[in-house]
Amino acid sequence: MLSHNWFQIFIPLLAFILNVIAQIFLSRISENIGLLKSIIYAFGTGFCVVILGEIYMGVYYSVQNSGIVSIAISNIIIYSALGYCYFHFLNLGETARRIRILRELYESEDGLSMDEILKRYNAREIVQRRAGRLIKSGQIMVKNGKYYIGTPALLIMAKIIVAMKLLFLGKESEFDVK
Amino acid sequence: MNVLVLSLALFIVSLLIQLIIWKIRIPKRQTKALLSLFILVLIGGLFVINAISDHLDVLTVKSFFEYFHICLFFISLTLAYMITYSAIEVDSPSLVMINAIAKAGPKGLGEKIFTKMMTDEILIKPRLADLLNDKMAYYDGDRYRLTLKGILFARLFIFYRKLLNAPKGG
Repeated sequence: MLSHNWFQIFIPLLAFILNVIAQIFLSRISENIGLLKSIIYAFGTGFCVVILGEIYMGVYYSVQNSGIVSIAISNIIIYSALGYCYFHFLNLGETARRIRILRELYESEDGLSMDEILKRYNAREIVQRRAGRLIKSGQIMVKNGKYYIGTPALLIMAKIIVAMKLLFLGKESEFDVK
Repeated sequence: MNVLVLSLALFIVSLLIQLIIWKIRIPKRQTKALLSLFILVLIGGLFVINAISDHLDVLTVKSFFEYFHICLFFISLTLAYMITYSAIEVDSPSLVMINAIAKAGPKGLGEKIFTKMMTDEILIKPRLADLLNDKMAYYDGDRYRLTLKGILFARLFIFYRKLLNAPKGG
């Protein structure tokens, strides 16, 4: 039976660190690459490290047992989960309303009133930015002043989230009264 | 096989316990409650695994490395789940927009109706209330100010956005 060792455990952590470094590097060297592409390429780099690490472990131990396969699957899941967390951390900085409000408050020495916050950041800006992103990515289309669904990827995600909301919270929206 | 099966089993148990608790009463600070629950399940699970490992031939965990691997696996999944759960707890404007457009069907959703649906009351004020609830900001007279926790969070994101040469976001 294949025994565990530190190297096996550190493969996904090492790959994740490389993922983060590669993403920062890609973002800094090229303004044209875009956030999403930098995340995808960096994730792919780390994923290759996981696969190579697991192959190395398989060859090094040169044993035929289910241990090496299950450890490899575990490490791929760990790396993917960490990569997913990093993607969301970056996404928070990019799109989260709470983070944007935090920044606005941070940048004002004397704090902000509600009116001042809404002058700096408001629903109109949020809708414009998001609609722009959704149109650019093809998720929605605009024809004659009306919005239509484009590619269904985000719609599927939205339906999954609504299903989970119903399962855990018993309502479709945070504004619904249960 | 042990790490994979036991970590997934612990994670599924955590989800089931969460579902039961949430059906009885949804906690006020859901993310904090979720984190506490999953950590408790991990600690309890490791004790149970340790106790039964001596009596079983399968799914036994013998070495410290395996326990560490289970912790790493479980914590990674928990963090990923907690991040996903934030989209369940709070409405994402993009997903609300997509759902509204989908509900309008083939006749489409007019821009004016769309803008009317997305007000400051729905998009901004609840998130400001979240900052107060999470003790990242406080209300002083008629002004909102950051707490130390809020300042640290803001600095983290500002630092990272600068590192990536990225604009303000939102």
